[in-house]
Amino acid sequence: MTPAAELSGITKRFGSVLANDSVDLTVLRGEIHAVVGENGAGKSTLMSVLYGLYRPDAGTVLRDGRPVRFRSPADAIAAGLGMVHQRVRLFPELTVAENVVLGAEPVTRRGLLDRTSAVRRVTELAERYGLPVDASAPVGGLPVGLRQRVELLKALHRQAEILILDEPTSVLTPAQAARLFAVLRTLAETGTSILLITHKLGEVLETSDRVTVLRDGQVTGRFVTAETSAAELVHAMIGRNLAPAPRRPRERPDAPYALEARGVRLGNTEDPGVTFGVRPGEIVGIAGVAGSGQRPLVDALTGLGPATGTVELLGADVTSAGVATRRRLGLAYVPDDRDGRATAPALSLARNLVMGDQRTPELRGPLGGLRGRAVAARAADLVTRFGIRTASAGVPLSTLSGGNAQKAVLARELARRTPVVIVEEPTQGVDVGAQEQIHALIAEARENGQAVLLLSSELSEVRALADRVLVLFEGRLVAEFAAAEATEAALGAAMTGVAA
Amino acid sequence: MNLVFAGSVITATAPVLFAALGGLLCAAAGVFNIALEGQLLCGAFTAVVVGHETGSAWLGVLAAVVATVLFAALLSVPAVSLGTEPIVVAVGTNLLALGLTSFLMRRILGLGGTYSSPDLRGLPDLPYTSQSALVPVAFLLTAAVAFWLRRTRSGLRLRALGGEPEAARSLGLKVTGYRHAAVLTAGALCGLGGAQLSLGNVTLFSEGMSAGRGWVAVVAVMLAGTSPYRLLGACLLFGVAEALGFRLQGAGLPQQAADAAPYLITLAVLVVARVISTRRRKERTV
Amino acid sequence: MSVTADGVRTRRPRNALRRVVLAPPVLAVAGAALLGALVMAAAGVSPGTAYPALVRGAIGGGNLSYTIASYVPTLGMALAFAIPFRAGEFNLGGDGQLTLGGITAAAVALKMPLPGVLAVAGALVAAVLAGALTAGISGPLATRLGLPAIVGTLLISTPATALASYLVRFPLAEKGTGIAETPLLPERAQLPPLGGSEYVTAGLPIILLVTLAWLWVDGGTVLGYEIRALGAGREFARYGGLPVARLATSSLAAGGALAGLSGALIVLAQPYRYVDGALTSPGYTFTGVAAVLLAAGRPRAVPVTAALLTVLQVGGEGMERDAGVPGQLTQVLEGLIIVLVAVLATARRLRRS
Repeated sequence: MTPAAELSGITKRFGSVLANDSVDLTVLRGEIHAVVGENGAGKSTLMSVLYGLYRPDAGTVLRDGRPVRFRSPADAIAAGLGMVHQRVRLFPELTVAENVVLGAEPVTRRGLLDRTSAVRRVTELAERYGLPVDASAPVGGLPVGLRQRVELLKALHRQAEILILDEPTSVLTPAQAARLFAVLRTLAETGTSILLITHKLGEVLETSDRVTVLRDGQVTGRFVTAETSAAELVHAMIGRNLAPAPRRPRERPDAPYALEARGVRLGNTEDPGVTFGVRPGEIVGIAGVAGSGQRPLVDALTGLGPATGTVELLGADVTSAGVATRRRLGLAYVPDDRDGRATAPALSLARNLVMGDQRTPELRGPLGGLRGRAVAARAADLVTRFGIRTASAGVPLSTLSGGNAQKAVLARELARRTPVVIVEEPTQGVDVGAQEQIHALIAEARENGQAVLLLSSELSEVRALADRVLVLFEGRLVAEFAAAEATEAALGAAMTGVAA
Repeated sequence: MNLVFAGSVITATAPVLFAALGGLLCAAAGVFNIALEGQLLCGAFTAVVVGHETGSAWLGVLAAVVATVLFAALLSVPAVSLGTEPIVVAVGTNLLALGLTSFLMRRILGLGGTYSSPDLRGLPDLPYTSQSALVPVAFLLTAAVAFWLRRTRSGLRLRALGGEPEAARSLGLKVTGYRHAAVLTAGALCGLGGAQLSLGNVTLFSEGMSAGRGWVAVVAVMLAGTSPYRLLGACLLFGVAEALGFRLQGAGLPQQAADAAPYLITLAVLVVARVISTRRRKERTV
Repeated sequence: MSVTADGVRTRRPRNALRRVVLAPPVLAVAGAALLGALVMAAAGVSPGTAYPALVRGAIGGGNLSYTIASYVPTLGMALAFAIPFRAGEFNLGGDGQLTLGGITAAAVALKMPLPGVLAVAGALVAAVLAGALTAGISGPLATRLGLPAIVGTLLISTPATALASYLVRFPLAEKGTGIAETPLLPERAQLPPLGGSEYVTAGLPIILLVTLAWLWVDGGTVLGYEIRALGAGREFARYGGLPVARLATSSLAAGGALAGLSGALIVLAQPYRYVDGALTSPGYTFTGVAAVLLAAGRPRAVPVTAALLTVLQVGGEGMERDAGVPGQLTQVLEGLIIVLVAVLATARRLRRS
């Protein structure tokens, strides 16, 4: 029997990063095929190639044995592919039924949109696969888990023969996840091929038929699920059995918190809210899948958004203080939204490097003047000290590479040596060389006695840097681990709400 | 008496409603179109010139539509295809429309200020009313747009791509095609609105006669979201304000107060509507 | 070598001439002139007579001093748009701020008997406040109610102009002339003429000083840095702890203040009275807008582009007198310039990436 899809020799490069290095993947009809690997291993790139989002630099794709070249997702959809993205791509203004049928709408004999049959179709699909949802509700008001269900219904409506699911359980509770897997199993039994992208081994072992493991863009293992073990998969994923690096014990384990949150609610109004603190000289990692409440937490801590409960900075209650006050008191913040929040790409690198400090005596001259020479000196100093590669400090920040722009943000925030630093996804979209430098900088901040709060969805990053790891799940802190206990498995379980 | 007032409300509403419908289509497609003011003027002028030259008001209307669609292309090509900031382009085309109509008025009609002539025939009134035949078209088009947005494939797709163009693109929808269509259709509607203004509401052309109606249409769109019926409400409100101003002017209020009234009332309603909606949003989050 | 406001040295490019000639603003002006010629040809006017008449009308014979006088409100209105524009807000309501500034200046000059220099100063300050207030209202409308300033300023402009028009026709009217204008302002409230010129007054040094002050604030102060940061990224400004709403509102108000000042400088100069329509009909507001957009993000170019467009605006009137070409051609050219400079800038960005 011809495989449903066959990818061979897929190579895809982004600048200096080789995201896929001659990858082969065969998808059989009616199987659940898991593609696993750490973040950045190249899983999403591979799937994007299959779904027509990226064109590969080399390699071929066969669909039912015939070579195909998808120039857009529309081509892929027409060829019977469907994808449920990790970041849900729905239209909040439209109803569930409208979202599901969009692009493949049922019409009446007169060519009008057949809304009744759209609703009927969605209800029918929902019932058949046990995915209950109100077909005429607007999507904007649905919780994340339900939105993903809508995405799935969308693919089912198009009768996708190959269904790609990118980290589908990252926004689901364990019970919801179990239901999803039951649905996937039914689909596979009726001949649909399912590609399950994940880094959670539990799911893989429970649900898949076969597994392909990726590491650094290459295939490092192909297994039949029934004949493999978690240990074998981990070895293929990580290459060695990683032990966390030995860490210097904290010098003042009972020092008062430099940053403390008590009862800060991150969403649900009935929640008691999160409570934790960060001491000087330690890195506290916050692990969690994206969308677990990181953004409201950071906004509450930095003053960029509303805060409930109490936020204390160096013992002072700053719950209702503005951003400027907190920065002045000693808070630095490296946001994950580089182009929108952390920088103004149109401004020069120098002007980006002084944001927040423009009113300090060093930079602010008489009559409110900005000391041009001091700005230039500051920029030159940071450029050398942090190894930011740029033609000059006068060029717009937008001309810098992602890694160098990120180093600029870190330079600005860390050079102030504030008592407290909040770092959010510091190595997102950054190449490997820059990643190491950035990790070294964060570690150095700890050595300097700064209190560092590190939010990251990269487990390896959290494990490499943090002294303590807190796990955020659905807006609540569900677990705390000391560095040594923070194994991939333990964190993974907690991040999906499985932990006790 | 009340019937007369209602009639003047409807007359005042029609041109704004045409323009606002165009603005609504653009908003649904994700283009912030503030070029309506200049396009109304373009339509009003073309209608009078062609109406005058051919002696047929309907040919004037047709020419207004064609000319304004072409004029709207001046916005749609840079803003949709090149990604130029639509606001800046629209500021330019609004000024261009004002200059070009005044310039050509002097060259073609031979004078500045206000042009009217017994040779210039306005649109025929509907029987038993003092409304031109274009007026019901505005109201029928409102219903048509509402129906189209809700009940057709292309309407649904247009509503979808406004908010999430990337997601729409990934479904294979032709985002730029829809946007061009929306901006050009807005041009056609402004052509109709302009023609109604110069050959329906009155039978003359005067410089800058759109007098801010295109901006009122922009506000109406902001108030209405993508609901054509709410849009109709917002435009009727403007119509009432204008008719009221007219009436009060007859009763001895200075003309300036009458000129200002529609804008002040539009602004006041917008403020009240926004305050209410922000309050509601706050209540929901707390 | 030159030192920019950041104190960063930049090297002058070798092919400087080529860069200047191919810069979007230069191409836009050339393109607009060309398209304008086509419009004229289509309308049966010879560009060969019109353009020389335009230049003569602006700088020929005794017209130069009138042009310089017109430069004052044009530059003022350019600043009225430029200041909020740096913060990312569009002030298109210049006409309302200009007329309310002008009528306020006239009212103070006529009704408040202030001694000596205070007569002029009082009128100017009152006009600045009136303009600032008129524009400032759009600030909270934008930051609290989400009504973009571009719409807010415009919507307020029409009633504001109507109010000024009402004031000049009724409470402040010159009785018995039949023209909608105020009486002649008392002599002590008139701006002193400069060097015996008929039109040019102390308004010129005032507006030039204000422009220099703005250039300094924009490029050399913390406040200018913060406004620019806000314009470059609202979320970035919030992140840096800037008072976003206050900065946006004050930059709108500052723009309005400049518009109000421009109105006063018109009224306190020839013919030393507020004449209904005289402030809006030359089109200072949009000439200013065009000048700023033509300067394409370079504040120091604004005085230059404003001068260029003043020539266009005044020359347009001369062209009408001399060659019988309607002066509205000026607006046509300005509109074309705005569209072209925007398009050329994006085209260049597209080609680079």
